[in-house]
Amino acid sequence: MTNLPLWLIPLFPLVGTVLLGAIAVISSGSKKGPAEGIVGFLAVLFPVLAFASVVLLAWGMPVEGIRLTLCNWIDIPLFKVDIGFLFDGLSRIMLLFVTGIGSLITLYSIGYMHGDRGFARFFAYINLFLFSMIVLVLSDNLLLTFLGWEGVGLCSYLLIGFWNKDLKNCQAANKAFIVNRVGDIGFLLGMLCLVTVGGSEILNYDSLNAFIQMLIAGGHVEIVLPLLSLAGLLFFIGCTGKSAQIPLLTWLPDAMAGPTPVSALIHAATMVTSGVYLLARMGELFSLLPVVLLIITLIGLATAFWAAVAGLFQNDIKKVLAYSTISQLGYMFMAAGVCAFDASIFHVFTHAFFKAALFLGAGAVIHALAGEQDMRKMGGLLRKTPVTACVMIFAFFAIIGFPGFAGFWSKDLILERLYTSGSLGPVFYGIGLLTAVITAVYMSRLIILTFFGSYRGSKESEEHIHEAPASMLIPMVVLSIGAIFAGYFWADSLGMTMFKDSLAPVLGAAQSGVAHMHVNPVIFAGLGTLAALLGMFIALKVYGSSRVPEAKGSSAPEGFKADWTFFFDTIHKFCGIIPVAVLAWIADVVVEKILQAAQWMVGAIAEILGDGAAAFQVRKVRLQLALSVAGVAILVAVVLLTGGSI
Amino acid sequence: MLLHLLVLAPFVAAILMVATSKEDPKSSSRLAFLFGVAFFAMSIALVAGGNQATEPMEWFRIPGCRGPVYYYLYSHGLGAWMVFLSCGLSLVALITARNTFEKNYRNFAIGIFALMGAMNGTFLSADAVLFFFFFEAMVIPAAVMIAGYGGKERTKAAMTFAIYTLVGSAPMMVALWYLLTVADNSLLLSFAIALQGLPAETQFVILLCFLLAFLVKTPIFPFHGWQAITYAEAPAPLSAILTGAMSKAGVFGFIAWILPIFPLSMTVVNVMLWLGLATAVYGALLALRATDAKKLLAYSSMGHLGLAVAGVFSLSEAMLPAVLVLLVAHGISAGVQFYLAGVAERMTGTRDITLMGGLAGKNPVFSTLFGFAAIMALAVPGTAGFVGEFTVLLAIWDMGPFPAVVAGFCLILSAAYMLRFVQKVIFGKQAREYEEGKRMTALEGSAFGIMVALLLTFGVHPAFITNSLHLFDEDAIEEMSKLSGQEGEAVEGAPADSLAEQSSDAAEPAEEHRPMTEAEIAQLDSTLAEAGFDESERAALIQQMIAADAAQANESAQANVEATENE
Amino acid sequence: MELQAVYVQVLALVLFAIGLVVALGRRNVFFVLMGVELALNAVNLSFVGFAKTLPADMSVAGQIVPLFSIAIAAAEACVGLAMVILIFRNRESVDADTYSNMKG
Repeated sequence: MTNLPLWLIPLFPLVGTVLLGAIAVISSGSKKGPAEGIVGFLAVLFPVLAFASVVLLAWGMPVEGIRLTLCNWIDIPLFKVDIGFLFDGLSRIMLLFVTGIGSLITLYSIGYMHGDRGFARFFAYINLFLFSMIVLVLSDNLLLTFLGWEGVGLCSYLLIGFWNKDLKNCQAANKAFIVNRVGDIGFLLGMLCLVTVGGSEILNYDSLNAFIQMLIAGGHVEIVLPLLSLAGLLFFIGCTGKSAQIPLLTWLPDAMAGPTPVSALIHAATMVTSGVYLLARMGELFSLLPVVLLIITLIGLATAFWAAVAGLFQNDIKKVLAYSTISQLGYMFMAAGVCAFDASIFHVFTHAFFKAALFLGAGAVIHALAGEQDMRKMGGLLRKTPVTACVMIFAFFAIIGFPGFAGFWSKDLILERLYTSGSLGPVFYGIGLLTAVITAVYMSRLIILTFFGSYRGSKESEEHIHEAPASMLIPMVVLSIGAIFAGYFWADSLGMTMFKDSLAPVLGAAQSGVAHMHVNPVIFAGLGTLAALLGMFIALKVYGSSRVPEAKGSSAPEGFKADWTFFFDTIHKFCGIIPVAVLAWIADVVVEKILQAAQWMVGAIAEILGDGAAAFQVRKVRLQLALSVAGVAILVAVVLLTGGSI
Repeated sequence: MLLHLLVLAPFVAAILMVATSKEDPKSSSRLAFLFGVAFFAMSIALVAGGNQATEPMEWFRIPGCRGPVYYYLYSHGLGAWMVFLSCGLSLVALITARNTFEKNYRNFAIGIFALMGAMNGTFLSADAVLFFFFFEAMVIPAAVMIAGYGGKERTKAAMTFAIYTLVGSAPMMVALWYLLTVADNSLLLSFAIALQGLPAETQFVILLCFLLAFLVKTPIFPFHGWQAITYAEAPAPLSAILTGAMSKAGVFGFIAWILPIFPLSMTVVNVMLWLGLATAVYGALLALRATDAKKLLAYSSMGHLGLAVAGVFSLSEAMLPAVLVLLVAHGISAGVQFYLAGVAERMTGTRDITLMGGLAGKNPVFSTLFGFAAIMALAVPGTAGFVGEFTVLLAIWDMGPFPAVVAGFCLILSAAYMLRFVQKVIFGKQAREYEEGKRMTALEGSAFGIMVALLLTFGVHPAFITNSLHLFDEDAIEEMSKLSGQEGEAVEGAPADSLAEQSSDAAEPAEEHRPMTEAEIAQLDSTLAEAGFDESERAALIQQMIAADAAQANESAQANVEATENE
Repeated sequence: MELQAVYVQVLALVLFAIGLVVALGRRNVFFVLMGVELALNAVNLSFVGFAKTLPADMSVAGQIVPLFSIAIAAAEACVGLAMVILIFRNRESVDADTYSNMKG
């Protein structure tokens, strides 16, 4: 079955998009909306088909991967790019969980979006998202990846602003798209930079790697290092946009305005990790650029720490998860920064499970509470929604790195690699470990506030609390199983290295340059466990007993908490929005007015001259005639007198 | 034949339209639709047909000028695509105008056909004077239609538009006339040759005259005063044509006339590049603050065209296909956006975007198309806009990273204003109760849908556009040089021999003297024979010519030697 | 005695002068029109007169041109009268001095 063509994988969700989009448009006129059964079936069918084909392909994939060039895309002088696909160890893993988790979340959404007016539209967007994400991951060159890259950004925009009646959602969507655009321009300029270095062929990943190997072999790295570093930095800016790292991270918390399945799929499991994927995909390039790598590590560290602290301050259950996502992404970037690309991809993999489970659980909680998102008004839900609670608690153990759960393996792996990365390693490790403690604190706070204690909402809302329907529960349970066991694909200390081995053919070359000293993994595991336990203990002490403050007004943090949370929003405001607004004001009010005045002046000159000429005009027709005759006479006389020599 | 039809038949169609009823748009709209479809089909045939040319016909001679003005049409890929835009957008304009103007549809259609003919003429002329004729002729139907069908300030808009653009191209007319007095004829090749022989200052002045006309028409930053008010006040279908096709005449002029004719200095190129980039930024900034839907789109068009001009003057090898894709993409996407803005205006009764909103719930099909069109304008990959903007950025990168960064900044701004536009128009709650205007009809909707689909197609497979591009092929150059040659002969045949002497002197500036070839001598012989000279006379004349030729060759060789010594 | 060419020219000059004086002097627009016609005919006469001075085979041109100009004068008179009548309808006056819209 390995002769399945690669283009089938993106084709399935594309067909789904077209079908569902057509249904959405056609049914938009009718009062009742489309039949949810059929739409739901179609919506799940295509992602599942894509998942099935990925599984089939993954089963019989040769070690060196499958390559397929479909057709030519752009062919102009100096620039030639094909539409081609590359299915290798890296894209296999990404595709497996993108389509797999995508299918599960689509299934979940059928229950979640039940009765919504835009039911078909929602699934059209979801399918379009899956198409873009598959293209992003499966593409064999940067330009096609960019197509997916902006495509997922577009879908994220559409889905955040899905309930577009509320302008707040639209603003959040706009923010997401524009901030992402800033990153995308980085990506785009990075591509241009690469083209200057080696022509348009090296936009292809294989050729890029070959090019770099040639550089190393020929010893020419030094010559192009500045340009390559610039390109690497520009690509990294693209990654910070898509993966919500400092400084382009402000959009992700706002993106929680979208439906919760969207937050789970796009803003936790798949899209936001595409930055990490890109770093890994271009690992060989990045491994040449020590400066860029250092920047990546520092940014990752700073982001992880900042977002973890910000997570402590949130009252909105989805915002806590959003900041935790940013923080976890910081971990992945740290790992990529020390050339541990396989570890960062492994964390992407495990994170997708437990974070999607957490989000879906949060969605189920919000669903049960009829839209309430403020944790201060929750509590005691363990008894009322036991399945949801169990799912979230398993995922919680995974994210804090409790021994045996998925996050334990991947996070410890990252911390271990950080420690061994070089002279600065122990410092990185210390901050990483501190962040892990904070992570445990805020996640424990979330669990305690939501599921333990007593219910703090109004009486009448308490009666409506119900467990989610089966279509929502099944995906959650599957994901929580993943959150428990996904770690065992790469449990070094148990000798399970399946994940590592499958990535080795792709990432081996990129990581070969970094010599990792051998350390005893047990110490790291112990310290990691200690961090998780310490965090849980602190949270229990602080939040477990004391009274939860009364919820008043909005769920947004206040005071110094707001200062911390919105630090980067403030920076964006002063460095981005206000200068542009001022520039626009100058252009509109000053320059435009000056130009209009100049235009008016030219017009005025013509007018004045015209008025002056008009003053010569005499009123009487006969006098005009006489004057013209006299003029002719004078002309004739002049010609006669001068003999026509003038 | 196709070329003649595309240029002349629209005028015939305009005249035929007079026969239909003025009051009742039923018959006139059908006829107009049929004509529109026919022209659109022809334009597709033109694009598919590759390069073609008509027989050059002498149109008129200006006293004091050396050569005639030809009626000579030539279609290269660039012009053909522009004609495609002009015919396609006109067709959609005819469709959508049917629902906008209840009465007087006929006169609008007449105007559209006249405008279409003039635009096609502009894009297909191979003769500079013919080009200029159509270039100016475009303004008149457009201005009349603005004055007749525009918004509240239509008279002011029409006046501003007509005066600004006509005054802008007046210097070009003078420059053309001057060039005609020194060149063999008004074709591209002879202009280029004639310019080589002029002193640098004169060249520069002529260049400025040409540039000004195109800068105003595009428009580029300091000369954009007419644009916003014109696009805002013009009826939406006309605005779509103005921005989608007519404004391309400026960029087309840069590519098809300025670049081949003028030897450009690096300063000029840099100035133009930065003017283009400044326009791109400036248009985007103004669009951020605009509250009038059509003004916003006008500024956005200005931004995109600024980028295109910057791309043209990157002079990169990739420039031509890149700019062409950008132009086609912008033509279609800006066109469809103007049409949709017109529909929105019809439905809400206002152009002010702060007073709109909530159309998504009210009219989902319209809003879907509106959103799609905005996404196309954003240059999301997979759409033609992306291919255009990316490749233009690639071309600009050739001039250095900094211009490319500025261009990238424009892309960010374009996302900001476009999303704001979408949000204000179709999202949110309905701001107030709208007076129910006419909703979007199925025909309109499918026309817009086809335009969007075209953008997607070109985005995935831009080869449709890039492969059809061969600016001037060998045949055309040969034809042109043949015409120049003919002209020389014709002048020699004239009684004033001194004139002939002068012309051959001017045509071949001092640098290099080409000795007469055998073929030329034979040709001269046969011409003389036809003119009625007998054997001996002919032999004597030819002897004389060859001797003079040799003397001249000596002279010029000496001059060259001297010149090198001086250096 | 053969008619001297110069006399014809003198007559034409006198006629032209009379026409001009009438066109400039009278305020009634019909008289102005008549004056213009007279001046036109004076020029025709002058043409014919000069044609007489040329040898016979070349003088034909001089005699043909007045024919053309007479024909055109007839057409022009029609248009002119029609315009005058239209103006008269608008203005209720035949006084040429009241026709001054052209001045702003």
